[in-house]
Amino acid sequence: MNDTRKHFAHCLIVDRRQFLAASGGGAALGLIGSPHSARAQGKYAGQKVVFASWGGAYQDAQKQGFCEPFAKETGAIVIQDGPVDYGKLRAMLESGKPSWDVVDVTIEFLYSGAADNLFEKIDTSTVDVKRINPKYVHEDGVGDIVWSYNLGYSRSVYKDGNYPRSWGDLFDLQKFPGRRMLRDRVSPMLEIALLADGVPPDKIYPIAADRAFKKLDTIKKQSIFWTTNSQSQQLLVDGEVGLGVIINGRLYDAVKKGANYLALEWNQHIQSVDYLVVPRNAPNRTTAMGLINQMTTKEAQAKVANLMALAPTNPDAFALVDDAVKPWLATNPDYANKGLLTDENYWTRNLKPLSERWAQWKLS
Amino acid sequence: MATALAWVNAGNWRGRSVWLVAPALILLLTIFIYPVGSLLLRSLSEPAWGLQNFKAIAAQPVYLRALANTVVISGSVTLICLVGGYPLAYSIAQAGRRLRRLLIFAVLIPFWSSILVRTFAWMVLLQQRGLINRIMMGLGLTDAPIVMVHNRIGVLVGMVHILLPFMVLPLYAVMVRIDKTYTQAAASLGASPLRNFWRVYLPLSAPGVINGTVLVFVMGLGYFITPALLGGPGDTMIAQLIEQQVADFGQWGIAGALAVVLMLGVGVTFALLFRTRALVADK
Repeated sequence: MNDTRKHFAHCLIVDRRQFLAASGGGAALGLIGSPHSARAQGKYAGQKVVFASWGGAYQDAQKQGFCEPFAKETGAIVIQDGPVDYGKLRAMLESGKPSWDVVDVTIEFLYSGAADNLFEKIDTSTVDVKRINPKYVHEDGVGDIVWSYNLGYSRSVYKDGNYPRSWGDLFDLQKFPGRRMLRDRVSPMLEIALLADGVPPDKIYPIAADRAFKKLDTIKKQSIFWTTNSQSQQLLVDGEVGLGVIINGRLYDAVKKGANYLALEWNQHIQSVDYLVVPRNAPNRTTAMGLINQMTTKEAQAKVANLMALAPTNPDAFALVDDAVKPWLATNPDYANKGLLTDENYWTRNLKPLSERWAQWKLS
Repeated sequence: MATALAWVNAGNWRGRSVWLVAPALILLLTIFIYPVGSLLLRSLSEPAWGLQNFKAIAAQPVYLRALANTVVISGSVTLICLVGGYPLAYSIAQAGRRLRRLLIFAVLIPFWSSILVRTFAWMVLLQQRGLINRIMMGLGLTDAPIVMVHNRIGVLVGMVHILLPFMVLPLYAVMVRIDKTYTQAAASLGASPLRNFWRVYLPLSAPGVINGTVLVFVMGLGYFITPALLGGPGDTMIAQLIEQQVADFGQWGIAGALAVVLMLGVGVTFALLFRTRALVADK
């Protein structure tokens, strides 16, 4: 089960109105077909493309943001599938016949998959990658959203302006006593520990693992390690922890559902990116590139941002984003100098040994 | 399951219509034995032929620790299920028809919701500001909240809740067929209730004990999401590491090797238990 990576799968809680709106009529089956009359027209008329993502409200936003407009404009038929499961995807690729054409993957899988030659190269004659901030463009994939690990905290636990402001505060048991939560994953936890220990952002890589684990030792006993995003939300909403590491979108979601005593700190946030990739030898590669191109438009990205508070990779999209949503977006220009983008070139080489060390550290 | 095992163990399969199991056998071969077999083979063949994956496991203390954890947690869960499930199964077997139906229904209710939902429910119930702690503090039973989740207690509670029916049902299946005249005869010959239970009822229910124990223990070994959500940092189980090897690293070889070690463990457990069973049956 790939539950740990379903970072936006809000699927357990979809309110009825949203569900009805999203499923409206025949689209409930996940099939967005163009009407018969239009089928003869359009660049990809009648062609099929299978889009796999993480389900729930996230995939619904992607469906509305770029799958449906793509189907409408080009006559292609977009079939929704998922949730993404890397074990399953790897198995599909080994068989040589993947059943997914476009897949939403996290940055670490993009890099490890690229190293294992799992993806088609992005066809830049179809996909206008110039629309996207070059930071989020890779040979094998195009970034569709940016999300981040932030310091989240509860104003019902820490009161009167005595709020945590940095990762240093997460490790400060005197100033912020009580239990805290950490992500049960070596990255971003080592970056966070080093930032807390005073390492400047541009000196984080290569990771000084000994130093990071030593820092983590200081709060290990007071920490709860979360593996799914619903868990991180639950822990903070219920006051089981007062502060900790959480993904920005999940805190936004909790606040929107009524937990208005929760707050997010943008100082030292750790950015990560989801990419759209085309699995090697996917049956509908050409149409797949067309769909990815649709995703790069500012309209598509603004739509996803407005629905889910996920930050656009196309800088022009910001003009179309609601003012109420802007403060929650990692690529907000106001936060530009506050964040750290994980170095996946480093992690591709070191994830395995450091993950083993992380597991060992937890057990010891 | 219990009846099927009893039937096979009694040697009844010989000369009977073996072909009746053919459809099930073919299904198992194609959707279970073949894929599992190829995964196990990869433990020896990837990235090259040899024992490298097993050496890698042996060299990393984390895998051995997680394996030990898995056996200890699964064993504790089995023991708790047995101690709690035996009296329950006994009550069901002794109850009248209507009460019996009600009790079996109660045992089966947990099957109606997903493991994930039940695990989250325990998280909410057991946490420091959760219902149970608030009730206990309200009644003055404790001053400070007791930590019952994100540690071993949480894992055990969550897993016992899910696995208890797999202990109770095989026990019940055996107990309900125990002829009451045996215990009556023992009593009429002067055996005390305790002696009667120890010398007559328990040996007669032993097949159910063994079936339930094997079932719960083996199912517990593969647990994944419950220890991740309800456990603390020290409660990592082997299935979590196997999943990571496949999904994060694409290391089918190491994942396969871990699966082999786990399967060998299960195989040895089975062999030992069936041996004890044979001894019990001989008596």
